[in-house]
Parts: sequence; structure tokens; C-alpha cells
Amino acid sequence: MIDQLPIINMIMFLVLALAIPFLRKVSFRLTLILGFVVLGLVTVSSVFILTDVMASGPILYRLGGHERLIGIELEVDLIAALISLFILGLALVIYIYSTGDATEGIEEREYARYYILFFILMFSLFGMVYANDLFNNYVFMEIMSITTCSIISIKRKKDTYTSAFRYVMLNEIGSLSFLFGVALLYMATGFTNITLLQQALSTLWPAYSANVIIALGFMLVGLGIKAAIFPFHIWLPDAHASAPSTSSAILSGIVIKIYLFVMIKVLFKVFGLRILDDLNISAALIAIGSLGMIFGSLFAIAQKDIKRLLGYSSIAQVGYIVLGIGLFSELGLAASVFHIFSHGMMKSALFLSVGIVVFQTKRRKIADFAGLGQQLPLSMGVFGIAALAMIGLPLTSGFISKLTLGVAALDHNQGYLIVIVILSSLLGVIYYLPILVSAFLKRIPEDAARPHLEKVPRPMIAAIVILALAIIVFGVFPNWILDIIEQAVATLGLPA
Amino acid sequence: MKPRMADGQENKRTLKDIITTQSSILVGILFLMIVIFLLFRANAFGLADWFATSGALIAFFRQLMRFSGWPLVLIAIPLIGAFLEMAFGQKRVIKRDRVVILLTFLTIVVVFLMYPAASSEGLVLKLPGIMGLGLGFRVDMLGYTVLFISVVVWFLVMVYAHEYMKLEKHCTRFFFFMALTFSAVLGTIMAGDLLTMFLFFEIMTFTSFMLVVHGQSDESYRAGHNYLIMGLIGGFLILAAMLLLYFFVGDLEFASAITKLGELGNLRYWIMALLVLGFGIKAGMAPVHFWLPRAHPVAPTPASALLSGVMIKVGAFGILRVATSYFFPDKTMITDYLDPLWLTTQTIGTAIIWFGIVTMAMGVFLALQQSHMKRMLAYHSVSQMGYIIMGVGIALYLGYRGAMGYAGALYHIINHALFKTLLFMVAGVVYYHTKEYDMYKLGGLWKKLPLTATVCLIACLGISGIPLFNGFISKSILHHGIIEAFEYGHPSFRLAEILFMIVSIGTACSFIKFFYYVFIRRTDNPYPRLKREYTTLDAAMAMLGLFIIFVGVAPRFLLGNFIIPALNQTAYDPYFIDHYIVSLRFFTWEDLGNAGIVVSGGFALFFLGTRFHWFHLKLPKWLSLEYVFFYPGYVFMKQMCRLMYGDKCPIDQEEMRTLSVDDENVSFTDRFTVALKVFNRRYERSIIQSDALIYTGLITALLLYMFVFGRF
Amino acid sequence: MKIIESIMENINYVGAIALFLIGLHTVVTHRNLIKRVLGVNIMGTGVLLFFTSIGNVAGGEPPIFIPGSVPGIFVNPLPSVFILTGIVVVVSITVYSLSLVVRIHEAYGTIDQQEITEMIKEEEYHD
Repeated sequence: MIDQLPIINMIMFLVLALAIPFLRKVSFRLTLILGFVVLGLVTVSSVFILTDVMASGPILYRLGGHERLIGIELEVDLIAALISLFILGLALVIYIYSTGDATEGIEEREYARYYILFFILMFSLFGMVYANDLFNNYVFMEIMSITTCSIISIKRKKDTYTSAFRYVMLNEIGSLSFLFGVALLYMATGFTNITLLQQALSTLWPAYSANVIIALGFMLVGLGIKAAIFPFHIWLPDAHASAPSTSSAILSGIVIKIYLFVMIKVLFKVFGLRILDDLNISAALIAIGSLGMIFGSLFAIAQKDIKRLLGYSSIAQVGYIVLGIGLFSELGLAASVFHIFSHGMMKSALFLSVGIVVFQTKRRKIADFAGLGQQLPLSMGVFGIAALAMIGLPLTSGFISKLTLGVAALDHNQGYLIVIVILSSLLGVIYYLPILVSAFLKRIPEDAARPHLEKVPRPMIAAIVILALAIIVFGVFPNWILDIIEQAVATLGLPA
Repeated sequence: MKPRMADGQENKRTLKDIITTQSSILVGILFLMIVIFLLFRANAFGLADWFATSGALIAFFRQLMRFSGWPLVLIAIPLIGAFLEMAFGQKRVIKRDRVVILLTFLTIVVVFLMYPAASSEGLVLKLPGIMGLGLGFRVDMLGYTVLFISVVVWFLVMVYAHEYMKLEKHCTRFFFFMALTFSAVLGTIMAGDLLTMFLFFEIMTFTSFMLVVHGQSDESYRAGHNYLIMGLIGGFLILAAMLLLYFFVGDLEFASAITKLGELGNLRYWIMALLVLGFGIKAGMAPVHFWLPRAHPVAPTPASALLSGVMIKVGAFGILRVATSYFFPDKTMITDYLDPLWLTTQTIGTAIIWFGIVTMAMGVFLALQQSHMKRMLAYHSVSQMGYIIMGVGIALYLGYRGAMGYAGALYHIINHALFKTLLFMVAGVVYYHTKEYDMYKLGGLWKKLPLTATVCLIACLGISGIPLFNGFISKSILHHGIIEAFEYGHPSFRLAEILFMIVSIGTACSFIKFFYYVFIRRTDNPYPRLKREYTTLDAAMAMLGLFIIFVGVAPRFLLGNFIIPALNQTAYDPYFIDHYIVSLRFFTWEDLGNAGIVVSGGFALFFLGTRFHWFHLKLPKWLSLEYVFFYPGYVFMKQMCRLMYGDKCPIDQEEMRTLSVDDENVSFTDRFTVALKVFNRRYERSIIQSDALIYTGLITALLLYMFVFGRF
Repeated sequence: MKIIESIMENINYVGAIALFLIGLHTVVTHRNLIKRVLGVNIMGTGVLLFFTSIGNVAGGEPPIFIPGSVPGIFVNPLPSVFILTGIVVVVSITVYSLSLVVRIHEAYGTIDQQEITEMIKEEEYHD
């Protein structure tokens, strides 16, 4: 039974997404409740999966019982189980939030469509996490492209169209690059199944070096576009700025992270350490990550719009994760995975609290934040906690990320990376602190009449408070999660 | 929170009396407690014997004193207080202030209770697992001494603040953050490992930032911004050092790591440099002191008193703590001053001594030119921190025989806390009555404020190092220390000793000037509306004045009960401690002679300075810090703008105008932000538009990279 | 001659890569949004052609099992299955982006990327 839970999870999301158009005719409330039930059920089953995987190793499931060569295979190893729980946790919080607001700027009749997209997105996310086959990964990637683009452009405003268009174009180029890479690997080995590919590649690598190199290059760049790794981040700020807050939170908190997870999968499970070492990928990833950390922050400093700022900050944070991956060590990867979690929480908290601010005051220019802390103490308080966590102050999860990443960098004899980590944090100080100071300390400008504040629905408040608490809990008691992460990372066969 | 004046005038009358009498009684009890403590330590009337042997109730107390959770209790008291204060809020001012004062007093009681454990083997508490590496607390005599002086000073300032804060708005917020800061300060001092220290240090930076910007004026924002950025930079430096230490030593607990660090080559100096700079920023050390004279004056007086009196000490304490733990051999490892283990310590010590000397000289030089009372005091804080840092340097430089420097630094931490707090309080009282900070506009106040004048005189004598007042004691010890440094060590410290004397003369001169201009000078402005009455301001100041005299007259009290036990817990030569420190004589002709030189030099400098207007010298504008840094940046940006925008250059438009050098109100970070905005406005869209081009370029680059550098 | 021979042998691959590059070139150089969509489409075609070429076996039969016949050399069917999926995906993405182009035209009155960017810049400047 437990073997079938992964596919049951995915099917539940899919069925719900397909059922929503019919449910809407009955009652919209019912849809919301049902969605909550499904998310809850999947969470429960994911917890089961995690405990089972921890106890007795990865779960393998073959759709239709076909053999590996031609069938679709799902594999849930420990990392996948952890990541899927992380997705669910964040998705639950964002879902709770969205029931309060159903996201600003969306017309009422679009609500149901929003939830359809949300659950298809969940389906494809789980597909990408579970799939043990590169071609299936590609298919889920494309499903995800369309759903995320739609989630961005669901708001009927003109700037959403251009940003969604840019996103869809780049995403498509990225997907095609990935597919091209898959084709090259298939040409060399005749497999798309990850397990088989890895075995084949380790023997075929010297013979098919050109194929493998080009494939690796195209796949990395393709995933890089989707994960908004620094030079490919171009689509991200616009998309974040124009999308509804919940969509930004999903995009920044979950979607990008899943692509990074797929990147981890491709790098370490498909190609394996030997090829990567021969091709010096480590240095390239470290360079790209460091550049992203610095330049993302520099661009963020120059922004006027709070959501664009958060977008650029995400780029900087993705740099941290790429850096951790690029260290090619268990510690580095553990730091990355932890930062995937902690950045997911922090960035969602930031976007959602900004969402409340936008919802209540209809303002999103940073200059308009003066005195907001006194008007909206709770949402700006959460914003403050999350911002301080981004800077990396102790007692927050951001600090633990920095600590683990720093130790990993030292462990890899790359001590100078500490300088970059700290420089990036300092740049973070430069763009986050003025917002906090002006929000909490500056007086509300006299000339600007106090805006009419809308009443905030409770679920929205509850969601951001949960996130703030989670940030602190992860910051104060990180060991339990770090232990599981380390255990999970150990299965990838990296040097300790 | 609505801005709200202190309570109505008629209300104020009646309300004040309750707390005034109550807090005066508490101040009296504090004095009594210290007397009882003295009696205990001296075993007068067989008190200590009675306590050690007698019955059930006392036995319970003895058990209580062994309780290892005291650090947590101590940190929790102000935390609880903070939220109680918030709950009482602006509505019930009396209850709120009573909570403030009572809870601060309670911390003193707890600190007294901790003495036996701290003085024997040290109080150790570990909380494993928190924040990954686990937190730890350790109260040994070094920590206890700083802890003791901090709580005493904090209590007196809180008593003072009750009256003073009637001038300010948002008092509840002030007391709330004051309490949080207190909690953080206590945590920093009691920390048992670097992580814990770092944690509370960062909290302290943030909460005290709220105190600095309390006035919410543009000036305080700028000062606060500087303060916060510098504090965070300091924090990040400590974080970097912490990472290195954790990785190479494997443990962050304050214990000797010298053998492991010795294997690291030059990296160990980098670690120490990061730590010294990180804590040094908070301590106002020379090259990174510039935030301090801006931040301390703009805060409300109680806050500036504590910033100068306690919080910068935490920085110096941090240096002393890490230097004498990680970079010091363990007591059991060492028997001789020639041991090679001392080499690292010595090198570090030399650098720190010179940092201290430069800080000292720079602080006093700049202080002499100030007219704003609080800014002058802040520069003196810088200068006095130089003494302390120099002491720390000596403590390291002389290695096994560095006990004198250690004792001097620790003693000066105590003394500076006493007199600098008092001096800030005096400046605050003067402002409270006259609304004036410029000392050249004041004068003749001794008639109107005799008690303030008296305590101010005491504090001035203390800071100038006049015999029978506390500064004399610690400065003598430090002077002994620097003399030992060039006797046992390098002859270049002769120069340091000379500078030490010059700085002392400058200090004396500065305070002669201060006292003269504020209190003595005849003036045509008689302040007719100034009414004198007994308030909590007086209680707090009088108590601090008494302490200064007490320490000056009976220097052995602090030395015997706090400093020598602290020395004994460190790896110093027991023989040296017994023969030089325990039997140290203060009022020798040599020391008195030095004090005489300082005083006469001070007077001479004062007369010469007023005659030739030396105190109004200003550096030319092009030499100022802003100009040197910002002018090249401005020129660069101007040229870049021409390149980027051509004719439609925004160089003279709204944004770029803030970059101009003349506007000294624009901080470095603001300039940086604006410069980035100029770039961003020109290029962001273009970058976004060339999406596919970037893709093509990058994929080509990546493939080339792999084909060229790959091995296959 | 040998070069030409090897090119002729691998003409599928060369064609596929040429298509990919043509598509990429279109995306990079053209400002017209519809042309950009078409460019991506051409890139997709290139990749799909590449995939089918892998499965091709010279002289192979279609992989259809007819009862009673003897299975000879046949073309690998798996890539064809892949590209069927791929075609569906590329078509849907094309449709989606074209619909976005329609919206953009409604909103901005133009489908020239340069002009749209200028408009956005103008708006941002005045904010």
C-alpha cells in the first residue's frame, strides 16, 4: 500500500483540479474545503512516506508495471520525501492565505480557475519530485511552465501580459534546452530512466564525451533559466512584480526551489561526481552562485517597487543555494537543502506580508512604506522577522543557513567564499533595513492622507504568523531537520 | 502609539513624589547591600562563618546560590519586565516606572547571589541543541565583575531615567527597548561561548539602535543608521571569525585553543583581527569609532549614559574575553613566561596596544574641539576606551606577566562606567533645566545646581585621574602596565608611555574646560526659571559620586573582591599576582607625581588653549572624512553618467543631487543606493530585453568552458 | 569528400541543429513578438527532429506488430512516443503565448518589443 501512496498523491491533486469546474456550480466554499482536505490528506500520506523511506529505503513504483526501459518510474528517496513535505507545508500556508484573499487583483470569476491552476501546479511539482525519468521530468516541467505562467497572468493587467510572455518564452527555451540534453543522453545511452542512465554513463563517459558535455551544458542552462540562477534571472523580477502575492510566494518559495532540486538530481544522480569533476563544473557553479549573490543584491538595492526588490533578493538567495550545490560535498549540499527550506519560508513570509500591505493600503512603492509599521504592526512585524532572517541574524533560520554554508565552504578549502557570503548579507542589510526603519520609525507623512485600510481576513494573518513562527523554530531548533537532511544527502554518494 | 506628552503638570507633582522616595530608599538599600557584602567578605562579626554553618533557612540560601540557572533567570527578568512595561503602557506611568526600577533592582540582588558560585569555580550552564551548536553560559570572575558594574550602573540610570524621561515622548517604547537591551547586555556578558555572545551581541545592536533613534529627528536617524550599519558589520566580522574558529577548533566554548590555533599559521591572526575589529566597532576603537560620537549624543540621556557607560564596555569585554580564552594558554599548560605558546598572544598584544594608544590620542584630540557637551563626552568615551584597549593589549603582550594590564583594563572598565555615566547624567541634568547642550552658551550653574556641580566635579576629578578618586587607581595600574611593557618588552613602548601621559593631560584639560564653562564661568544669563528640587536625578547622581569617591579612597575593595579573583582564574603567573598586584601600593610618590604633572599640564593647556583659541580649530574641509571618500566617487559617477545617458544626464536632477559632496547628511549607504539606481535606470530594461542573447552567450561560454578546461 | 559524406550520413542531425540555431537566431534578433514565438517553435521542431533521428534505423520498418508476420529490423518506437508528447507540449505552449500576444496587442497597441519596453520604461519613470 505504501508503495502506491506517491501516485495516489499525484492523482488526488489531478482529480481535484479537474473536479473544480464542476464543483464551482455547487458551491465555491465546498471547493475550498475540499482543497484543504486534499492537501491535508496528501500531507498525511507524505509523512507516512517519509517515515517509511527513513526506515526502509527508497520507494519505487512503476506505472502500469512496465519495465524500467519503457515504463514510467517513480522513485521516492529521502530527499524527495523531504522536499515533497516542504512543498506541502508551504503550499498549505499559501493556500490558507489565499482562502482569505483569493489574491489581490483577480476577478471574482477567476477564483475557481486560480485553484485549478494551483492544484495542477501541485500535481506537476510532485511529478517532478517523484519522477525517476528525465523525459517525464521534461513533461512535468512543461505542465508547470504553463500553469505558473497562467498563475502570473491571471491578473488582467497589461504589465502581467508582458512579463508572462517573457516568462513563457524563456521557460520554453529552457525546456527545449533540457529536452535537447535528454535527447543527447538518449542518443549516447538509449535510456531516459535516471537509474539506468547513471549506470550507463559511468561506463560510456569517455566514449561519448562530446554528447555528455553538450547535454550537461544544455541541461544546466535550461534548469538555470527556470531556477532563475543569476545571468538567467531576467524573467523573474517582472514576473514577481506583476503577479498576485500568492503567486509570487509560490513562484519564489516553491517553483524555483523545485528546479534547483531537479538540478541536484540531474547533477548527482544522472551525471555523477566523476564526470562533473572531470569537467570542472564545481568551479563554474561556485562562480555563478557567487556572482548571483552579489549582483542580485546590487540590483535589489536599486529597486523602487517592493515586490521587484524581493524578486532580486530571491536571485541572490538562489546564488547561495547554487554555491552550496557547487561545493560538491555533503555539507555543502546539506546547507543548500536547508537553505531551500529556509528561503522558501522567508520569502513566502515576505511576499505574503507584503501582499497584506498591498491588500490593505494599495501601495507598493518602497517610499510609501513610511510609518506602515504603526498602522499594520502584525504584517510589518512578520515582514521584519523575515527580513532579518534574510540578513541572517541569529535565532532565525537564515542564520543557520549562513552558518552551515560557511562551514561547508571552509570544509571545501574555499574560505574566501565566507567573504562573499558576508558581503551579500551586508548588501542585504542595505536594502532591507531602510524599509524596516522607515516602516517602524518614520512618521506617517502628513500630506498623504491616511489610506483607507481594508479589513484583513483572518486566514491571511494566520498564514503569515505561522510562517514567522516556523522561521524562528527552524532558527532555534535546527538540529532535527538538519539531521534528516544530512541523512538524506548521504544517499547521493558525495564526499563527506 | 499616539505621541503624547508626559502627564499633565498638576499630575506630575503628586506622581513624582511616590517614586522619588521609593527609589531613593532603593538606592539606599543598594548602598547597604554593598556594605553588607563588604562585611561578609571581611568576615566582620563572624558573618561569613555564621552563613556557612547555620541552620535550615540559611542552608536553603546556600543551595540557592549554587543554582546553575541564574544566568537564565537574570536574562529573563528584564525580558518579563519589558512586556510588563508594555502592558502598563503610557496609561499607568507610575506602575510602569515602578516595574522598571524594581526589576532592575532585582537583577542586582540576583547578581549578588551569584557571587559565591562565580568566585569559586564559575557558574556554568549549557543548553545543547539550540541554534544548532547549543548555547552556553559561564559566569566567572571576569564576567561577574563586568556584570556587577553593569547592573549597578543600569539600576542607577533607570532611577535617573524615571525623572528625565518626562522630557521625552514615547516613554513606554523607550523603557521597553531599554529592558530588552539590558537583557541582551546581560546575555553577552554571561555568554559561555562565542555563539551565545554573538547572539546577544546582535540583539543588543538592534535594541540599542531603537534607543539611539528614539528622538526620531533626522539627525538621530542618520546617527542611528550609522550605528546600526556599523554594528551589523561588526556582527558579520564576528560571524566570520566564529565560522573559522568553529571549523578549525571545533568548539566555540571560551577555553584555550592556542595549540590548535598555533597550527594555523597566519590564519590565527586573521581570526583575531576579525574578532578585535568586530568587537572594536562596538567598543569605539580608533579607525572604526566614527559612529560613536554621532550616536551617543542624539540618544536620550539615560540611553547615552548607558551606551557610553555599559554598552561600549561590552565591546571591550568581548575583546578581553576572546583574547584571554581562545588565544591564551590554559592554566595547566603553562609554568613559565618563556613558553613558546605565548608568542601568538604577544604578537596580537602588540597590535592591540597600538590600536588602544591611537584610539586614546584621537579621542582626546577630537574631544578638545567639541562644544556640544554630550559629543565631547562621547569623544572622551572613545579616548577612555583607548585606555581599556591598551590595557587589554598589555595583558596579552606581556603574556604570563601581563596581570597588570588585565587588572588595569578591568579596573578601568569599572571606573569608566562609573564616571562616564555620571558625566552624561550631569549633561542631561543641565539640559533638563536649561534645554541647552552647547557648553559655550552655558555658565554659572553651580549656584543653581550645587549638587550637580559637586558630583560633576567628582566625576571630572575621577576621569582626570586625581588621587582619592577612582580614575587615579586604574590609570596608575595601566601606567604600571605600560611601563612594564617597555621594561620587559620592546623599547618602542616608551613612546606609548609618553603618549599616555599626553593623553592624560589632554583629558584633564578637557574636563577643566567643561567644568569651567558649564558651572563656574560668569554669565549674564542667570536662568531665572530654573527651580531646584529633590528628584530621582539627584539620588542617582549622588550615589554614583559616592561610588567614585569610595573606589578612589578604598581601591582594595574592587581589587581584592573582583579583580584578583579574576586574575587567579586566568593563566597568569600566581607569583606575579601575589607579589605585584596584591601588594600594589597606590599612593606612592611616583604615582602622585604623575598625577601632579597631569593636573598642572591640564591647567596649562587649558589657559593656553583659551588664550589662543586652540579649541576652535577646525580641520580644513577638504581633509574631512566625507570629502576624501565621497569626492572621487562623485567625480566617477559624473563621468559614468555622461557615458550612460549622454545629454539627458540626470547628474543634476533630483537623484544625483544627493550625491553631491557638500551634503554631509547623506550617508555612505544612501550614496551607494542612489548610484546603483542611476545605473539601474539606464540598464535594467536593456538587460531584460536581451534575454535570448544572454542565453546564447552563456550556453556558448559554458560549453567552451567545459571543452577547454574539462579532462576527457 | 569525407566531410560531405559524413554530413550526408548525419543529415538529420545537421538539419535538427540548423533548425535549432535558426530558431534561436529568430528569437535573438527579432523584435516582433509573433516572430519570437515562431522562433521558439522552430527551435522546438529542431529538438524534436533530433529526437526522431535518434530512433531511426536505416532501412527499418515501422514498429507495428502485425500478427503472423516475422519481425525484421524496425525503427525504435520510443523516441517517436517521446516526440508525440513533445509536439503536444510545444503546440500548447505556442497557443498560450500567441494568446498572450493578442492580449499584449490589446493593451499596448503594438507587438514590437522595443516599443513596449519604451512604454514600460516611461511608465516606470513617472511612477
